[in-house]
Amino acid sequence: MTDLRDRPITPVSLPEPTLTKPSLLHTEIMSLNVGPQHPSTHGVLRLVVDMDGEYVVKVVPHMGYLHTGFEKTFEARTYQQGVTYAPRTDYLHSFSHELAYVLSVEKLLSADLPERATTIRVILHELGRIHSHLVFFGTALMDLGAITLFFYCFREKEEVQNLFEDICGYRMNQGYFRVGGLSKDAPEGWAARVQKFVDTFDKHVDEYATMFQKNPIFLDRATGVGVISSELALDLGLTGPNLRASGVPLDQRKATPYCGYETYDFDVPTSTDGDSLARFNVRLQEFRESAKIIRQALARLKPGPVKDPNRKISLPPREELETSMEAVIHHFKLVTEGFHPPVGEVYVPTESARGEVGYYIVSDGGSMPYRVKIRAPSFVNLQALEYACVGGQFADLITVLATVDPVLGDVDR
Amino acid sequence: MTTTLDPRRDPLTPQFADWLAELGVQPDDSAEPTALVPAGDLLRVAALLKADGFMLLDSVGLDYSQYTEKKPARFCVLHNVFHPHDHRRLFLRVYVPDSVDGSGGELPTLYPVWKSANYLEREVYDLMGVVFSGHPDLRKVLTPDDLEGHPLRKDFPVGETPTLFRDGRFLDPATFRAGMNGQSAGLSGYKGGQRRGEMNEPLPPVMPEGGPK
Repeated sequence: MTDLRDRPITPVSLPEPTLTKPSLLHTEIMSLNVGPQHPSTHGVLRLVVDMDGEYVVKVVPHMGYLHTGFEKTFEARTYQQGVTYAPRTDYLHSFSHELAYVLSVEKLLSADLPERATTIRVILHELGRIHSHLVFFGTALMDLGAITLFFYCFREKEEVQNLFEDICGYRMNQGYFRVGGLSKDAPEGWAARVQKFVDTFDKHVDEYATMFQKNPIFLDRATGVGVISSELALDLGLTGPNLRASGVPLDQRKATPYCGYETYDFDVPTSTDGDSLARFNVRLQEFRESAKIIRQALARLKPGPVKDPNRKISLPPREELETSMEAVIHHFKLVTEGFHPPVGEVYVPTESARGEVGYYIVSDGGSMPYRVKIRAPSFVNLQALEYACVGGQFADLITVLATVDPVLGDVDR
Repeated sequence: MTTTLDPRRDPLTPQFADWLAELGVQPDDSAEPTALVPAGDLLRVAALLKADGFMLLDSVGLDYSQYTEKKPARFCVLHNVFHPHDHRRLFLRVYVPDSVDGSGGELPTLYPVWKSANYLEREVYDLMGVVFSGHPDLRKVLTPDDLEGHPLRKDFPVGETPTLFRDGRFLDPATFRAGMNGQSAGLSGYKGGQRRGEMNEPLPPVMPEGGPK
């Protein structure tokens, strides 16, 4: 391996080489290794940080420690089996990947989705966003030394995970959606429990806000730290709260609505500051918007089927297998072989807690996808680290890494 | 079995066709709004789109060597560009000119136009083996440094490979599985059989030096 000090010490396209700033010490450049196992990386990410005294000159992320070849695995599994793999990429907002995958396959099949299935998907998608942001607030503030909020956030996170467990039996990596609907209907009383959770949730959001928004130590660590301008954010392909904190109101729920999001009334919170504090505040307001969407979705939740009635896509009900020969044949064909979507290439963008998630699926007419490409927002967002940290102190790098909020499963896939 | 795609949305609206004509590219037959861009024309089209305010969201590497339909080249890269304000999306389909020596072939890098191409092109290079000429930092990004080959190519051998441990010991997948189902102690150190008095393997079997036979 070549000596890191022999490499150019500024990112290639950074407009101003920061070494000329008078605040720097101009001492010997020291390379510091952070990770792969480090509490602040929230996963297995290795950063090689070139430092001049206390100031960061260059950051080189090394990823791939969690690379498990999901995209290759999809090619050897039927479309329905792929639902198992999708949520394991972004394990904090698993429903976003599940939804993006299922929507792409449904577009390929032109499946008809019952309204109840779509509404439950919206509720779970937004609960997943709340879950992911709760983990973000807990762990990001813990990195900055504010440990108290962690316990408050994880109190609500447990409640959300209990709701997940009630509906599908899994607290994480659910795999609950199916191509053409849901694996089963929500149990009785589940909607009432969700209603109870969102009714009290806004109060908890206020509680979180009081715990850090006026704290002078937190404000010192976050205000003006890791500024990403809107031009740089667009150039780097950032999406999600990171882009909206830089002043670009892009949200795929509004831009290319899916699951009927155009019929819901919600706002897209933005900020023009682009610093770490803005990234905290945008996510805090997203809590309220997600709760608002869930309340509207619960109001329109009506009893009904949760699967596409097309027997070439959905499994027949269990009781039909005892009376109908056709049902047995359909069941056998679907389980052993799966369905054959038409030849073509599709992509459906969705908005996860981290940005745009989409599955580019190429079908060759077989029962397994020819190629699946995951558009992973964390992977692209991580590029901001190299630009936002340079020129700041090392402690600011921890702030920036926490507020960019990458999930390493999503980065490495 | 082969049926053609019935797209829910037809991208070939007159506006879309006019826009592509303005960019000087041909539409591609796909359910998504896709333009067919020759490799030599890519930087010109990308610069036009960038000046229009588009952002690069994703690069998809595709290997068509086993596809049902005949494609002009084996490798293809799709650049997913999106306008953050008026929400237009366009896929730039670039077929990689086939190289003589059988490697992935070369495309011009989009890094001078969009900085997000940095990681995205590194990923395509790592997993698909397409080289982007002019890329400032074209290294592997996801796979281990000692992995040879590009895993997402269709001719990449999929199957069990013995795991090499740091001390030079190999773990044979078949032996490992045998240990898991209780036929032998395997490599997992499971001693269930020994307790029942059925075992006479004091040491777990290991792979011979130099890999599997």
